[in-house]
Amino acid sequence: MSSRGGKQKKGNVTSEQEEEEQPLQAVLVADSFNRRFFPISKDQPRALLPLGNVAMIDYTLEFLTSTGVQETFVFCCWMSNKIKDHLLKSKWCRPTSPNVVHIITSDLYRSLGDVLRDVDAKNLVRNDFILVYGDVVSNIDVSQALQEHRHRRKVDKNISVMTMVFKESSPGHKSRCEEDDVIVAMDSKSKRVLHYQKTQGLKKLQFPMNIFQHGSDEFEIRHDLLDCHISICSPQVAELFTDNFDYQTRNDFVRGILVNEEILGNQIHLYVTQDGYGARVSNLQMYDSVSSDMVRRWVYPLTPEANFTDQQGQGCTHSRHNVYRGAEVSLGHGSQMEENVLIGRDTSIGANCHISNSVIGNNCTIGDNVVLDRAHMWNNVHISSNVEIHQSVVCDGAVVKEAVHLNKQCVLAYNVVIGPNLSLPDGTVVSMHHPEEEEEDDDDEFLSDDQEVGHSKDKTRQKAFQLEVLGTLQRGLEENIVCDNLVLEINSLKYAYNITLKEVMQILTRVVLEYPFQQQGTQLTTLQYTGSLLPTWSPVFKNYIKRAQDHLDCLSAVEELFLEQDTHQTAMVKVLMKMYQLEILEEEAILKWFSTGATNDKSRQLRKNQGVSTTLQSLYITARKALCGERDCFPVRRTSVCGTVRPVQTPGLNTEVFLSSSAPEVYPVVERSRG
Amino acid sequence: MPGADKEADLTERIEAFLADLKRGGCGTGPIRGSGETARETTALLRKVTAQARWSSAGDLMEIIRKEGRRMTAAQPSETTVGNMVLRVLKIIREEYARSRGSSEETDQQESLHKLLTSGGLSEENFRQHFVHLKANVIEAINELLTELDGTTDNIAMQALEHIHSNEVIMTVGRSRTVEAFLKDAARKRKFHVIVAECAPFCQGHEMATNLSKASIETTVIADAAIFAVMSRVNKVIIGTQTVLANGGLRAVNGTHTVALAARHHSTPLIVCAPMFKLSPQFPNEEDTFHKFVSPHEVLPFTEGEILSKVNVHCPVFDYVPPELITLFISNIGGNAPSYIYRLMSELYHPEDHDL
Repeated sequence: MSSRGGKQKKGNVTSEQEEEEQPLQAVLVADSFNRRFFPISKDQPRALLPLGNVAMIDYTLEFLTSTGVQETFVFCCWMSNKIKDHLLKSKWCRPTSPNVVHIITSDLYRSLGDVLRDVDAKNLVRNDFILVYGDVVSNIDVSQALQEHRHRRKVDKNISVMTMVFKESSPGHKSRCEEDDVIVAMDSKSKRVLHYQKTQGLKKLQFPMNIFQHGSDEFEIRHDLLDCHISICSPQVAELFTDNFDYQTRNDFVRGILVNEEILGNQIHLYVTQDGYGARVSNLQMYDSVSSDMVRRWVYPLTPEANFTDQQGQGCTHSRHNVYRGAEVSLGHGSQMEENVLIGRDTSIGANCHISNSVIGNNCTIGDNVVLDRAHMWNNVHISSNVEIHQSVVCDGAVVKEAVHLNKQCVLAYNVVIGPNLSLPDGTVVSMHHPEEEEEDDDDEFLSDDQEVGHSKDKTRQKAFQLEVLGTLQRGLEENIVCDNLVLEINSLKYAYNITLKEVMQILTRVVLEYPFQQQGTQLTTLQYTGSLLPTWSPVFKNYIKRAQDHLDCLSAVEELFLEQDTHQTAMVKVLMKMYQLEILEEEAILKWFSTGATNDKSRQLRKNQGVSTTLQSLYITARKALCGERDCFPVRRTSVCGTVRPVQTPGLNTEVFLSSSAPEVYPVVERSRG
Repeated sequence: MPGADKEADLTERIEAFLADLKRGGCGTGPIRGSGETARETTALLRKVTAQARWSSAGDLMEIIRKEGRRMTAAQPSETTVGNMVLRVLKIIREEYARSRGSSEETDQQESLHKLLTSGGLSEENFRQHFVHLKANVIEAINELLTELDGTTDNIAMQALEHIHSNEVIMTVGRSRTVEAFLKDAARKRKFHVIVAECAPFCQGHEMATNLSKASIETTVIADAAIFAVMSRVNKVIIGTQTVLANGGLRAVNGTHTVALAARHHSTPLIVCAPMFKLSPQFPNEEDTFHKFVSPHEVLPFTEGEILSKVNVHCPVFDYVPPELITLFISNIGGNAPSYIYRLMSELYHPEDHDL
C-alpha cells in the first residue's frame, strides 16, 4: 500500500510538469483493411501471421515497448477474437508488463480513418501518440524523433501535427515496397514535408510551384526513403480525422493536410533515420523480404533466438551462417542447412534435404530429398519426399505429397493437401475457400494488387440502391410527387450510393418494369401487364436516357429482365412499343440493339420471337420513311456499327467481346434496305 | 497486504531488468559497462533475498537459481550476470555453514577422499532454519557490492607496476578498466598509447578521445595496421568481456589479431579483468559463445541492391586462447592464465557451475 500511496503523491506534486510525465501512448491498428494476403487472411488475421515463427503483432508490440510506450490501444476488426485471445495469452497482458495493452474491437472499422475517429470519439489519447499498424517490424529508436516532435510542438504552438518516420534506403533495395514508394519534397532545415506523392505506376511526376516559393533556402526532393509506417501523431490528428470524414488512410490525411496547409495551418514533418530497421509487411513480397532480413539479423535485438515474446519452449539456438534451431529438431543423414535457415521446435527433417534461406515452423515433418529455397513454412506442415519448393508460402496444416514441385511465388493456404506428382506454375494460390470470393488475380500474388476488392461490395450497393429507387417511385405514386422531384431524389441517391449513371438507368428500368410483378404477382396476363405500365414515369426516363449509348443500355436492361421473366416474353414487344411511343427510346437504338446484341442462345431466341421482329420491321419502315430524304446516311451509320469491336455488356450475364460484323447475317431488314 | 505488494514490486523489478538485458547491446555492446551490470544483478539478488518468501537456505538457493536461469537466458552473452548469481549462491552456502558452526563448507579442497566420504552435499543439509541467516546473507552481499564498487580502482592502482616511462602501449577498442588503468599511470609517467580503432563499431575512437583528454599521447590506427605497428610496441594492455574457465578470453573482435601479432613479436600481453568477469564457462559451448548483431555497421542498410546479393555478418566477440596471454591483472592482483582454475574454485562452488 505504501508504495501506491507514494505514487499518488508523486503524481500530485509533479502536475505542473505533466507534459513530460504523462505516459507515452500508442495506437496499434491490428487490421490491414485490404486483402493483400487474401486466401491466407481469411483464416487468420494478418497481425497473427507468423514471421520467423512469431506473430507479427508481437514484433510491433515489442517495438513499442522498447521505445518506452506505456499504454497501447490495439484496434481490431477482422477476427478480433483471435487477436484478443493471442494478446491475452502473451506476455503483454501479464501484470508485470511495462506496456499496458487495451484491446478495442469493433466490426465497424473499415479504414484507418474509422479507427482514428473512434480514438477521438472515445477520447483515448491525451498527448502525442505513436501510430502503427499491427504488421510493422522495427527496431528503430524513435525517442529522438519523439523529442524533435515535442520540441517543434512547443516552439511552434502546435502547428506540426504529425511526424512520419522514414528510413533511408536507396531505390532497388529489396525491402522497398513498390506500393509504398513515395517521393517527398521537404524543407532541409525544418524537415517539414512540402509535397508527398506515391510514385507507384507513375512515369511523370508533377510538383506544385508553391514548394519552390516557400521561402526556405533549401529543400530536398527525396526518393530514397522507405516508409516505416510509424508516425508520431498529436491528438489533433484524431480530431482532424473526425472533421474530415472522407479521410480513409494516412495517405489521404497527409495529402489533405498539405493541400489545406494555408487554410488550416497544420504541418507535417519527417524524421529520416539511417540506423535501425523498420518495414511494414504490406504484402507477400514484403513478407518474404522482411522475413529474410529478420533471419539475417537486421532487426537485432529482435532475433529468433532472443525469444523476446518470453514464451516457454520457443527458444532456439543460433549458429554459424545464421542457422537457427529450435528444441527437439531432428535432421536426417546428409541433409544440409546451408544458410539463413530457421527451424522451429519438434520439426523433423529427412535425409539428403537441401534447405537454404527458409523458415520452417513448429511440428513440421519433411521427407527425404527435399529442396527448400526461400520457402516459408508455418506450423504443422507435412512435406513428403522429393518435393521442391522455391520462394513460396505454405500455411499451417498443409500437406504436400510426393514429388510436388512448387515454383516461385506459390501460396498454399491453410490445410491444403496437394499432390502427388504435380508441378505448380509460378504464382499459384491454392486455398480451401471457394473461389467465388477470390476473384482477384491469382497470378501474381506476391506483387498483388487487387483492384477488384470492391466487387462484391458493388453488388450489395446496387441492390440497396434498387430498393431505394423502388421505394422512391412507390412513394411518388402514392403521394403524387412531380417527376422532377423524383429525378432529384434519385440523383441524390445516386451520389449517396456512388452509382454510375449507367447503373442508375439500368436499375431504374428494372424497377419500373418489375413494379407490376411486385404489385400483383407473376400470374399477370400480358395485357394487364402492359396496361399497368405507367406512362407517368416517362419524364423520369427521359431525364436519364439521352445519349445513344443510354438507349442501348436501357434496352439491354429490358432484355435482361425479360430473359428472367420467361412467361412474359411476349410482353416485351408491347413494352418496346410503348417506350417508343412515349419517345423514351428512339427507333434507331432499337434497331441497333436488335442487330447487335445477341450474345447467347436465349437472347437470340428472344429476338427470333415472332412478335419482336415484326414489330421491328414495322418500326423500321416508319424509320425509313422518316429518313427518306437522307438515304446516304444509312450505310454510313451501318458501317460505324458493324466495323467496331465492342464489348456488349449485359449485367449479370457473361461479359464477352463481341465482333458485331460477324453477327448472325446481320438482319434481313437491313438487307432489304439495300434492295 | 504489504507482502503481496512487495512481491509484485519485486517481480516488476526483475521483469524490467530482464527486458533491459534483452534489449541491451544494440551493436556497440551493452550500453552499461559490465561492472554496472554486475552491480545491478547483485543488488537485485539482494532484493530477492530480502523480499522473497523463504525459510531455509535451500529454499533461497532454489529461488536464486530460478531467477538466475531466467537472467542468464535473457542475454547469454552477458556472462557477468551468471557470475554474480554464482557468487551469491556461494555466499549463501558459506553463511549457512557458518551458522551451523561447521568449518567443513569453507574447506574448498576437492579430494578423492572427500568425494568418496561425503556422498555429495545434498540439499537436505540446507533445510535447517536459522534466525540470523537472512541478515547474514544480506550483509555478505553488501560486502560483495562494496568489492564490486572498488574493482576498477583496485586494478588501476597496480598500473605503476606495469607501465614504465617512455613505453609504447597498444590497446584495442574501448575498455573502461583499461582506460582507468592508463589514466592512473599517466599521473606519474609519460608514455605513448596506440589504439586500434576496432571496426566496425570503432569504439577505439572514443577511447582515444578520452585518453587524449587526460593528456596521454595517443595514436589511432586502423585494425589492418596492428601487425605493422606491433614491432614498436612494448606492451599490449587490453580489456575483455569474459575470462573463460581455461584462462582464455572472450573479448571484442580484433583482440585475437592483436594477441597473435603480440606473440609474433614477443610483446607481453596484459589483460585487465576484474574478478567478476571470471566465468566457469568453457569456450566450446557454441551457441552462447557467439553474438551476431545487426550487420548495419558493416554494410549500411542504405546500400540498396548489393544487400540482396551478399550475406553480411557482424560478429562481436573473438576467442583468445590462453597461450597468447602473459598476465591477468584483476582487483586482487596479477595472475598467470594457468592460475585461473584456482581462482575459479575460490570464487564459485563447483556444484553451482551449471545453474
